[in-house]
Amino acid sequence: MNLNRYGGAKTLRALNFICNAPQAQSVSLVGDFNGWNPTSHPMKRMPDGAWLLTVELKHGHHRYAFLVDGVLSLDPQAQGITRNDQGERVSLVSVS
Amino acid sequence: MKRACCPKRKIPIHWRDELRESSFPTGKRGIKTRDSWNSSFQIDLGNRPKRCTRPVFSRSKTLGAESGFYHSPLMKKAPGTRRIHTKAARGKSSPGPDGKIHPIIIYPFRHPGDYSDLDPLYELIARLDEDKDNYTRPITVMDRKTFHAMEGNKPFLDFRKGTVARHSDILDAWCVDTCQMWYSGLGTAYERGGAEDVYWLIPGDFNYGNPVGHEVLGRLHDLPETCVELKQDLCIGEIATDHGNSKQLIDTYGTFALLYNWFPAEAREIRQYTERPRSEFFAIRHGFLGEALRQRWYAYEQTVVMLLQAVFANKRISRFFVGHVSDLPEGRESLASALQQVERTERVLKTLWRERNQPKSGWIDEYRRLESQSEQVRRTALTILQNLLS
Repeated sequence: MNLNRYGGAKTLRALNFICNAPQAQSVSLVGDFNGWNPTSHPMKRMPDGAWLLTVELKHGHHRYAFLVDGVLSLDPQAQGITRNDQGERVSLVSVS
Repeated sequence: MKRACCPKRKIPIHWRDELRESSFPTGKRGIKTRDSWNSSFQIDLGNRPKRCTRPVFSRSKTLGAESGFYHSPLMKKAPGTRRIHTKAARGKSSPGPDGKIHPIIIYPFRHPGDYSDLDPLYELIARLDEDKDNYTRPITVMDRKTFHAMEGNKPFLDFRKGTVARHSDILDAWCVDTCQMWYSGLGTAYERGGAEDVYWLIPGDFNYGNPVGHEVLGRLHDLPETCVELKQDLCIGEIATDHGNSKQLIDTYGTFALLYNWFPAEAREIRQYTERPRSEFFAIRHGFLGEALRQRWYAYEQTVVMLLQAVFANKRISRFFVGHVSDLPEGRESLASALQQVERTERVLKTLWRERNQPKSGWIDEYRRLESQSEQVRRTALTILQNLLS
């Protein structure tokens, strides 16, 4: 199906990703949007121990996960679950 | 009125937000324009929209009569409908380069007392019907028993003729149970479809009429779109219920307990995706649907079977949360109904296990062992459900 049919792929929307991992030393966001690169989207630690990152994503459905101290972790608040190309369970978000 | 379908990028952000907050969003495949919003999609939560009240239409169609679904003299042609041949009967045309989404609506078996839940559903269906670039003509599967039960009911006949038949092809079929309605609808849509197409099952017997239901209607499109965009074979829609909900209790103490007995490895895999293995909300890709249709189709608990088939064949499965929505009351919440659902699940799992394992030597000994355990699981489930539901 032509995903550019409505040109929505060019629309960016800012999304807040929050990972509650107060004991973690480092958390990053990985997903289809950054080629699952563990270094391109490091998350920032907040005073309450949660980790936050705002990312602009294109319209559509995106697979993502948190990399908590190097371990791939699902987002418990995610809208869905699927698998990435490596067969690992990852989270799903819809951007409309 | 001809509705423009302008590119989403041309719609100012504040319009889109306004639209999203005000009615059912249908994603990029159904984004409203300001014109369409002002002219035809004004939705009053408390009243039926004008477009659906007293329509006079001529585009109604009825499927199924020529494809062997009904030949009974009991079945009169419904007012305002004419019978057409399916594409398969006419000769299938080659699918286009881009796949399409086939919406299949399962009309409530027991007709609700009013149209407060069906109206918003068919508002959505009307929008899908008009978006011909992305959706095929929707199909509504209606059990003939439902039709005959409502035959003398003018509001029903008006709704069928003016709304259901206007925005979808009606597939009249005699069905043993709900999953046979799915079989009829999905099978008919499959015969019209192509390799890249995705089939989207939309149950009609949910409380779409309240604001929460509207929100759910706005999210359902994520199921087929997930299949399309992420190349998934099956996307299960998960609904949220409270802990005391009979569906949740049945799945926890009955469905999963039995699944773990008969198919332990597959049950673990399924539970990684969903807590609702009997969900009626799903979208399925053409290739996997073809495989599922060619295998034994059960009159009930077919979602569990499809999930198992997906795991057996290592298909790509996703789960998407669709919101807080509940069935319209049909007595399913009673203890007797809960027991029946557990018994049906056990029957289906037994049959499926035998089909897969009969070719193996010594299968009967293993079957007896599992059956004995299954009986214990079922009895325990019945005791728990009796304590919780009665």
